[in-house]
Amino acid sequence: MKNIFPIVLIAVGLSACEKTVYLDLAQNDSKIIIEGQVTNHTGYQYVKISRSVGFYETGESPRVHDAIVIVSDDSGNEFEFVHNPRGHADSSGFYLPLNAFEGTIGRTYKLSATVDGQLYEAEDKMFSVTTIDSLAYRINDDEAEDPKDGNKFYEVLIYAIEPQGTTDYYLFKFYRNDSLKVYNDTDIYYADDEVLGEQIDGVPSPIYYEPGDTARVEAYSLSRNGFVFFNDLQTLLTSDGGLFSQPPSNSRTNLSNGALGYFQASAMDTKEIVIKE
Amino acid sequence: MRVSCLNQEATRYQMIKKILPVLFTFLQLTGTAQDKVTLNGYVKDSSNGEELIGVTVYLPELKAGTVTNSYGFYSITLPKGTYDVQFSYVGYSFQTIKVELSQDVVKNVELVTEATVIQEVVIMDERIDENVVSLQMSKNTLDLNRVRKLPALFGEVDIIKNIQMLPGVITAGEGTSSFYVRGGSADQNLILIDEAPIYDPSHLFGLFSVFNADVIKDSELYKGGIPARFGGRLSSILEVRTKDGNNKRFGVSGGIGSMASRVMVEGPIQKDKSSFIVSARRSYVDLFMKAAGQENLVHFYDINAKINWKHNNNNRFFVAFYSGRDVFNFSDEFGFAWGNNTATFRWNHLFSERLFSNTSVIASSFDYKLELKDPVQGFKWTSNLQELSLKYDLAYFINTKNQLSFGYHLTGRRFSPGKIAPNTEGSIFTNVELQHMYALDHALYISNEQRINDKIMLDYGVRLSVFQNVGTSDVYRYEDPRDNIQIERTDTIHYDAWENIKTYVNVEPRLAARYMISEGQSVKLSYNRMVQNTHLIAAGTVPVPFNTWNPSGYYLKPQVADQVAVGYFRNFKDNVYELSAEVYYKDVKNVTDFADNAEIFFNQDLSTEFRQGNSKSYGIELMIIKTEGRLTGSVGYTLSKATRQVDGVNLGREFVANYDRRNVVNIQAAYDLNDKWTFGANFTYSTGRPTTLPTGKYEYQNYNPDVITERNGYRLPAFHRLDVSATLNPRKNSSRKWKGQWVFSIYNVYNRQNPFTIYTRTTKNDDGDIIGDGKTKEARMVYLFPILPSVTYNFKF
Repeated sequence: MKNIFPIVLIAVGLSACEKTVYLDLAQNDSKIIIEGQVTNHTGYQYVKISRSVGFYETGESPRVHDAIVIVSDDSGNEFEFVHNPRGHADSSGFYLPLNAFEGTIGRTYKLSATVDGQLYEAEDKMFSVTTIDSLAYRINDDEAEDPKDGNKFYEVLIYAIEPQGTTDYYLFKFYRNDSLKVYNDTDIYYADDEVLGEQIDGVPSPIYYEPGDTARVEAYSLSRNGFVFFNDLQTLLTSDGGLFSQPPSNSRTNLSNGALGYFQASAMDTKEIVIKE
Repeated sequence: MRVSCLNQEATRYQMIKKILPVLFTFLQLTGTAQDKVTLNGYVKDSSNGEELIGVTVYLPELKAGTVTNSYGFYSITLPKGTYDVQFSYVGYSFQTIKVELSQDVVKNVELVTEATVIQEVVIMDERIDENVVSLQMSKNTLDLNRVRKLPALFGEVDIIKNIQMLPGVITAGEGTSSFYVRGGSADQNLILIDEAPIYDPSHLFGLFSVFNADVIKDSELYKGGIPARFGGRLSSILEVRTKDGNNKRFGVSGGIGSMASRVMVEGPIQKDKSSFIVSARRSYVDLFMKAAGQENLVHFYDINAKINWKHNNNNRFFVAFYSGRDVFNFSDEFGFAWGNNTATFRWNHLFSERLFSNTSVIASSFDYKLELKDPVQGFKWTSNLQELSLKYDLAYFINTKNQLSFGYHLTGRRFSPGKIAPNTEGSIFTNVELQHMYALDHALYISNEQRINDKIMLDYGVRLSVFQNVGTSDVYRYEDPRDNIQIERTDTIHYDAWENIKTYVNVEPRLAARYMISEGQSVKLSYNRMVQNTHLIAAGTVPVPFNTWNPSGYYLKPQVADQVAVGYFRNFKDNVYELSAEVYYKDVKNVTDFADNAEIFFNQDLSTEFRQGNSKSYGIELMIIKTEGRLTGSVGYTLSKATRQVDGVNLGREFVANYDRRNVVNIQAAYDLNDKWTFGANFTYSTGRPTTLPTGKYEYQNYNPDVITERNGYRLPAFHRLDVSATLNPRKNSSRKWKGQWVFSIYNVYNRQNPFTIYTRTTKNDDGDIIGDGKTKEARMVYLFPILPSVTYNFKF
């Protein structure tokens, strides 16, 4: 029920028509955008810092490569992050740990990033995530009739137990052959557990595969703040302009000092399966 | 001794002389009272016996008069004598009756419809200029006969679409039947059908409204100067009354249109004493789509039914029902539906020729449901709102100068905001239900309409509203009741059934005054305070049926509006032209709004999202109407502004409200060419709706979200549209029982692409595939209705 708009439009029974219009928008001061992640797996930690741009700008947004980035936990550990240590051309603006580490469930992680003399801070706690018991796959008949993507109409089924005693929030990522995929460009796959029962038996993936593909599912735990951020972000990405739902607004963040984005601490569990005929 | 006796006699005589004048005065008073008599009765339509509401009853010799009430009843107390009594009503021929009043007289009158007379300009002598004379300002009565000559979407005459053309009323846009009145949001209008509230007046998202025009007798919109007998909403009252049914002869009428058809059957049960009316309407696009093998089906229906009987002249009974529903089904797997159901039982009782009472028992329910049939992800989501009311209203016609209205209303409401249940064995969903909420709403009111002299008339009164939010309920206390991110409940307080949680008492003064400057010219002034205790939980510009309602309670305070309006009214050329100019200012405290990014659906801690603030609106409304002649119509213009300031929304800064439309122009015209053909046209123009647009964008993972800086900082392009229609009328003198009428109409004649909304997305091509590197964005404008021609056939026999 997060987004009523498409339902309403279909319901009116007439195809609403659309056209592209050019907006004369006021320019605003650029904002600092921080995207950060700490998980309980080595190699998954990073912080990305960039700036916002005008609505009609093209290309990549400008990256910040001279920030000072430190991540610490509530057990007294400090991890220094350095900008693009391996010098990859497409990793400008990414900060990786100087010394590889992995996060611990139950700890609270804090980010301190200094950009142009301004300090931006955020905190997030790492909660545990349920295990994905197994994966299966089958053909999705509706998708097979009219596949969005070539011959891909196999869906992966997820089996897990949802702990009923705790309040849990989840973020899911789906990979096809090691490539992160979304069905619609604005999709974020996240959930809270309020209406979920214990038996998660065969929830289908939103991504489709064909025989020979390797499908991988990652489940991340989110804190309440993280869930609120992704929920707000999904609402913003699919906003109907404030017609049936609220006018769009910026996603709530755990970053201070006017930065946008989110610093996320998550436990992660993953399973893989190869699709065969 | 004798002298003293004489003295005593004299003293006694003197005493008697002193007392006598007092006695005489007393006798004179009662004598005067005895010299006054009451003329009362009911005014009806001669063709079908329908009681007529708002008929002007005027005595030119006394320069005094009154108006029939909602049940067609009038009562006027006058000195004995013989008088000319004039009865006039829009759409009916004027009637003058000579009445000899030597004692109380009951005079029931039947008026003849004017629609049967079409000729050159009809001049009426001494026509009553009701809009100038009447005390009521800021009220619009829809003349249904005139409305039927105008173009209608899909040929379906719609009360709500016509209300949206009145000055001070703004349509919320295409795709909805919602409207805004004088800078108020869509939930601030109380919509009543035979006194029962309707919570969502739209069918098919506004293509049609729940009102089947065939069955509507009277429709009045109060925008200001709201009488004390109404309450519960801040901005307007739309009071719709259905026909009682022809109590003289049996009749069937209906219409077959491009999208929906309707049929109405009415007739006497016992001639002149009781009658019934049943009407049904259904859309049938889905039946064609089913035949064509399409899987997506959508339809709506309405049923109106009423029975009334006149036990004797002092007692009348009415029972009315309404049931309507919208149903959407997508390929057997997903569907949703919603509907209103109401029932009213009314008893009119005349205690005396001067004391009229109406007792009503009213039930109303609104519900919606959403269902997904899926073995793993199947669920059913339901919600409803039910209310039961008892209303006791009295009108006491004291004398020609004073008419007292008073009464007591009691309403019980049960809010069931939502329940989600799995609908298959293997579904991942579990049962979750939001708490029910209960309210008891009491209102006590009294008001007097007083004619001070020839020039000044006043209506003053007060309404006392006592609103109780009661149990059974569990109310949570929070560490910070406004923190909607980290929601920390510190306590749960349990309330038993009917136990008081929170009571709000409000006094709502009402005042209206009219000053006649001269014949055909008046100035009116009004002030009213309105209190709203039923809040719509909706954060968008246009409400949808899935929005729920909440009562005032521990966390939600009553919304309170104060409105002042001043107007100048003038009629020209023997009341052929009516001009009105009104200025208003409305101030609302505790207007209900929601935090940015509020989660309003299925939220157990919804109160953490409430943000109540202030709203201000003001404007000027100008309208000129031509009521007679071949060409009739109206031109209306409204210039207005509406803003809100709410802590927690838009960073606490003042912002332009969703329903602000700076300039609005509405023109309606109907031309009777001859007996056969009538042409109609509608033109509407309105400044674009405020919208929130980005001031930049950024990258987050693989997404490109917008940067938002200010709420409602931009405007959509202006909205304007022209509709035309042509009606072929049945031959007047035909003796055939069957009468048919063809209506041809074109909606949006010059095919204007009126913006429905603007949203942003990653740049894509027409097939929906991303173009380029997926980082550029574009703005897309959605528009709904292109040029739409339609044909409707209306019949009657």
